[in-house]
Amino acid sequence: MDVVNQLQRQFIDYSASLHREGFLDDQFTQLQKLQDDNSPDFVVEVASLFFEDCEKLINNMARALEQQQGVDFRQVDASVHQLKGSSSSIGAMRVKDVCVAFRSFCEAQNREGCLRCLQQVTHEYSLLKNKLQTLFRQILAAGGSIPVVE
Amino acid sequence: MAPTLPSSDQASDQDNWDNGRLARKRQLLIEIVLRNKLTALVVDGDTTCRVLEQLLLRSYGVQTQGVDNGRDAVALIASGVKFDLIIIDMILPVLNGLEATRQIRDMGVHCKMLGVTICSGESERQVFLAAGVDVFIEKPLDPEHLVPILRELDGQ
Repeated sequence: MDVVNQLQRQFIDYSASLHREGFLDDQFTQLQKLQDDNSPDFVVEVASLFFEDCEKLINNMARALEQQQGVDFRQVDASVHQLKGSSSSIGAMRVKDVCVAFRSFCEAQNREGCLRCLQQVTHEYSLLKNKLQTLFRQILAAGGSIPVVE
Repeated sequence: MAPTLPSSDQASDQDNWDNGRLARKRQLLIEIVLRNKLTALVVDGDTTCRVLEQLLLRSYGVQTQGVDNGRDAVALIASGVKFDLIIIDMILPVLNGLEATRQIRDMGVHCKMLGVTICSGESERQVFLAAGVDVFIEKPLDPEHLVPILRELDGQ
């Protein structure tokens, strides 16, 4: 089907540009290689899982940082730690990089710095989510599967 | 008592764009064939990481189970279920990875244990190794680290 091929080609080009812009790193390519006939939508499913995790963790961080009586920085740090783990596992490089800075602010117990990082992490995650989800939806709606990028 | 968190993080890995390494990684993902049926337990509180690690193992034909906290991991081992390989994160809900590792070793379980964690400091490495893991791997778990271990377990 021409439409599917076109969309798949678009995905490959788009994927390459996401790598170039630093949104995704080599780890994401590794993931795509795990996709096969038994799990054709694996990349989509894993990406969805990651976005769910992100939302949950970002909410945890926001709640912890909102506490007027005194922020529990260890709690914030635990969430940032988890986000750093999952973002590096999926190859979400820019999200991971923000987590690195975020952890320093947690350690320094710097609420302002943490809030700035929270904003940044939310922004990076939203950007990545939009970029990937739109493309996934297009390909799947056209009846195709996510291509493996070489 | 929760383990101490690292005081500094390593810089972003420029090596990711080394073409030679990329080619070798691609190779590793395809090459290995296991002769024996291996089993593995993945212990990670983060869904994305746990699912990915299980999938990576399954792509090599390893039968896997996953649990999301240290207490369930210890309970599963205590119930007598045997694994060739246990992959465990350092920071876990309910019971942390260090303590879970110690308890598993105290039961007399000698299987290969990999500590796979986002913590990257030398002190974390020493602490995790002292608790009883055989290898300390910084996340993400990748074929380069995993394949030699699978080969060894397979007796290749």
